[in-house]
Amino acid sequence: MTRYAMVIDLNTCVGCNACMAACAAENQTPVWKNSWRTYVHDKEIGTGEDIHRRFFPRLCNHCSNPPCMSVCPTGATYQLDNGIVQVDEDLCMGCQACAMACPYAARFEVTYGDVREGREFFGEHTYRRRRPSVDKCNFCAQRVLEGREPACVETCVGSARQFGDLDNPDDPIRQMVASGTARPLMAYLGTEPNVYYIDDLKRRG
Amino acid sequence: MDVTTSFVTQDIWTWWLAIYLYLGGMGAATLTTTFLTDMYLKPHPELVLWGAWSGIAMLGVGSSMLFGHLLDHMAVIHVLNPLVLFNQPHAWIAWGTQFIVWMMVWGFLYALPYMLESAFFGRIPLLRDILAWEWVQKVGRTCGRHCRLCGWAASINGIGTVVYTGLLLQSFPAVALWHNPGVPLLFTVSAFSTAMAFLLLVLNLAIKKREEDRPLRVLYERTDLMLIAAELVILFSFFFYLQRGSQSAAISAQLLWNNWGWLIGFIGFGLLVPFFLELKGVIKGWSSPAPIMVASVLVLVGGYLLRYYFMYAGVYAQPW
Repeated sequence: MTRYAMVIDLNTCVGCNACMAACAAENQTPVWKNSWRTYVHDKEIGTGEDIHRRFFPRLCNHCSNPPCMSVCPTGATYQLDNGIVQVDEDLCMGCQACAMACPYAARFEVTYGDVREGREFFGEHTYRRRRPSVDKCNFCAQRVLEGREPACVETCVGSARQFGDLDNPDDPIRQMVASGTARPLMAYLGTEPNVYYIDDLKRRG
Repeated sequence: MDVTTSFVTQDIWTWWLAIYLYLGGMGAATLTTTFLTDMYLKPHPELVLWGAWSGIAMLGVGSSMLFGHLLDHMAVIHVLNPLVLFNQPHAWIAWGTQFIVWMMVWGFLYALPYMLESAFFGRIPLLRDILAWEWVQKVGRTCGRHCRLCGWAASINGIGTVVYTGLLLQSFPAVALWHNPGVPLLFTVSAFSTAMAFLLLVLNLAIKKREEDRPLRVLYERTDLMLIAAELVILFSFFFYLQRGSQSAAISAQLLWNNWGWLIGFIGFGLLVPFFLELKGVIKGWSSPAPIMVASVLVLVGGYLLRYYFMYAGVYAQPW
């Protein structure tokens, strides 16, 4: 079996936002209203002279026990055998229960207005979306199927994002996760997330 | 990583969804209460017609709140299909939609024999003609013969709808205020309390104040009193549950118990004032129905405020 996961090293993210741009171009997200499948938060941590600037990339955690999927009344949110959680826009009625259930704020609405705007923004012939839905990251499943990495991983200049298979014993991300170097967000909620972070604050003191 | 955690409320489901939860719960509880009253306490066609049609109307308006905010209205067809329960048995909206739809259907069928006999419905143009159709009469007679079946089918779906309004919020794991078993309990008690209050208004205002209905009014008053007391106990438990534990819960507690609308509006005027008004009515009685009607109106307003503030006070922890 394959279980895709991502490891994000907070030490090497430089906050260039190239991942956001690459994702938006690849997945045609409604950037005109500041909605992104992945977002890099820019935060200052500390007091006085001792301040660290932290860039924190955030995206769908492709949980093994995804609450967005269990609350979805139509089955529009579903999980592939490889662990990727996807949205079927033809089934999604846009009740946004998934957005309410997601602890990672990974879901955002795409309305009919956005679909119209998207046609103008991305081009009538290249824009793929036809209907509204509550959108989210899908680990660029279309690229992964072709053996390529997600757009955000491929474009990351600091190699802060690494994509791999947790079920492959030789995959570096499996080792980072198994050793506890990379840890999930809010694992106590029982969502079993598959995006892991390498902490930066220990190293920075 | 958690040192940077921030706590935020949501603006996805707000006042309009509170209307959905409020009218859904109250409408279903109203219909269920009147049907059970008619089947087991006192045959009361007028009350059934009021309960069935106001329940259906509340469910209709409430559901339109959710429907209106769907991003793709056509896709609602997927959740109206009963087979959705086989595909999505863990999704409460799927269950809730089915409960609501079937409660309306069975509720209509239970009320149909009474509608056929009702002078009021016989005076409404078009409806009068429809009720005179032979097959409608036949369906009405069949439902009359199997009224217990229709009544229980409607009531089970009604209770399902009431409980669903709480289970829906409970299914969001990130928010401590919502993700606990107290929410379905609180919403169920509140829904039946608002239904009692609504029916007391119906019995006092719409259905002429008949002496033979007095035991029913007293029963509803007493039931409402107990339900308000239960609601206060549940809220007391919530208060202490939220104080200690996760920070999400503690911040929800601060948001609620530092808010005058919650404290004075909901707990004060929505629960305590009606509680004491009804308590005096039960112990010593009132010379006029006015205090009970005031209490009923306050309970109805309080029922909405509960859901309104619950929606706004749900807090998410965001460790980024």
